[in-house]
Amino acid sequence: MTDAIVAEGLVKTFNGTVKAVDGVSFTVKEGEIYGFLGPNGAGKTTTLSLLTAVLGPTSGRATVDGLDVFHHPHDLKQRIGLVFQESTADQDLTGRENLEMAAALFGVALRETPRRVDELLERLALADSADRLVKTYSGGMRRRLELAVGIIHSPRVLFLDEPTLGLDPQGRAGFWKIISDLRKDHGMTVFVTTHYLDEADGMCDRIAIIDHGKIVAEGTPSELKDRVGGDVVTVRPLGKSDGLEAALHALPGVTAVAVQDGTFRVKCPSGDVLIPKVVAAASSLGIGLASVSLRRPSLDEVFLEFTGREYREDEGPTATDRAVFLTRLQNSRRGQR
Amino acid sequence: MNFRRWSALTKRELLKLARNPAAIGTSLLLPVLYLILFGQGFSFTSFLNSLPPAQRTAELDQLVLGAPDYFSYFAAGMVGFVSVTATLFIGANVIFDKLFGTLKRAAATPATATDIFGARLVAGSIQPVGLAFLVLGLAILLGDVGLAGLHVTAQVTVVGAAEVVAAILLLSLMFASLFLALGFTIDQPQTYFAVVNTINLPVLLTSAALYPWGQMPAWLQSIASYNPVTLAVEVLRINFFGGSLYPHPAAVYLLGLVGWAVALFAIATFLTARALAPKT
Repeated sequence: MTDAIVAEGLVKTFNGTVKAVDGVSFTVKEGEIYGFLGPNGAGKTTTLSLLTAVLGPTSGRATVDGLDVFHHPHDLKQRIGLVFQESTADQDLTGRENLEMAAALFGVALRETPRRVDELLERLALADSADRLVKTYSGGMRRRLELAVGIIHSPRVLFLDEPTLGLDPQGRAGFWKIISDLRKDHGMTVFVTTHYLDEADGMCDRIAIIDHGKIVAEGTPSELKDRVGGDVVTVRPLGKSDGLEAALHALPGVTAVAVQDGTFRVKCPSGDVLIPKVVAAASSLGIGLASVSLRRPSLDEVFLEFTGREYREDEGPTATDRAVFLTRLQNSRRGQR
Repeated sequence: MNFRRWSALTKRELLKLARNPAAIGTSLLLPVLYLILFGQGFSFTSFLNSLPPAQRTAELDQLVLGAPDYFSYFAAGMVGFVSVTATLFIGANVIFDKLFGTLKRAAATPATATDIFGARLVAGSIQPVGLAFLVLGLAILLGDVGLAGLHVTAQVTVVGAAEVVAAILLLSLMFASLFLALGFTIDQPQTYFAVVNTINLPVLLTSAALYPWGQMPAWLQSIASYNPVTLAVEVLRINFFGGSLYPHPAAVYLLGLVGWAVALFAIATFLTARALAPKT
């Protein structure tokens, strides 16, 4: 498998002082879905803007589909598709007119254009509203049109910048099913920035976690979870907890104990086996427990592990939102099979 | 420039214009109000009607360079006026397209800065050119219904008509280039309108579009001689009323206008390319 995207030491500084991207290097294999995960302001969109020649770098180099991004920006735009975070379709034009214009701008053959436009309208469930002005479209329809514009010329590499921002769980699951189908049908390489942990976990082959402009971890979702060190048992004592940390360390199978705001996070290979031992250890020290909970490794844990802080709720969807999204994603995958 | 990309972008501009009848209507209103309210009320040369014909002609020659009355002189000047005022908004449209992301979308495609600029230039010039001819038509019509109107007193030849069309086209393209350049360079609508107003009024007030030439002080005449609006309206007046009182033939004024248009076009394409290049 060849490399579709190679970034080497990318640095982007704004106004000479603000380092938005700080020495980012990674490679994306052809046909992969590669996720760039991080909170708002981490440097995701700036990295994507560098790779799509929207921004020039302060230093570093990058190739996309074998082309030097910073020396051949015009040729690059012909080969890539770009879906922006915000809606960029022309609201005073219909969905079909937007697609026809994009086809002309990307040089889709004239005789191919009507067929390609119809095919995309159908595939993205926009056929019924194709001749309506975009200003009458719902948020989900606009996102799908945005994607259609981005892939009108069948690009080899597709860049998606927070593509499902603002969509409801159903809309997000539907959007990802389309991306997944496109990858399957055309072998398209996809680079996606997101701050939705569940999306990165469920859809990406590999993930890079970016924070303060630097990649702090990279790997497949399961590799990253393994690096956290298995399950995490969270122990909240009722009052004083003298001696508890040492007692937890001494328990068999415990690989690490971290204390934050009086709460103990205990890593171990099998949490359900450890919990009775934790309760017993606390009881033997005369320490009452407010709660003991078990968390299987998730990207939340990965994020905490590599950045040293919790992934804030306002940076991602709510727990309910995520549960609904994952259910729908699983359902759509079952339907696919 | 790639013809298919340019025509697709031009079609987009024209579709947007066609779907905004309110904008077309209000752009028509300004020149119509000027012709009917200002033009009729300010048709001050009627006081010369009581003079003997020879004296009246001498006075008109001195004041409005051979035009039969002030309204006729003013109607030709209004063509210059609408070329400036109707092109103002194309720069503002660029700023709104920046804010709404549609310009970013176009810049992310293989379309070049020349394609994007060229489409907006041509589509944006259609409205002022149309308005200019509408002003001329309406001004002639007003004379036919008993009001002050445009009276063409010279024999307009085919070459003369071509010169008139060329002057209107060049003036519209020139100001369209200027306002597009400002639109691509400036990011905030408030700043854009402040800058445009700072340019707009001095350009019009230092031209011979509305002022009777004979009433202008010598220093203002010197400035007005180089003003592109003056150059364009002189081409019209020479062809409508005769050129014996003008120091140069219409072709010389046209040449000056070409110089202005080329200079502004070059500056505008440079600024547009710079605005659409990857930000470093």
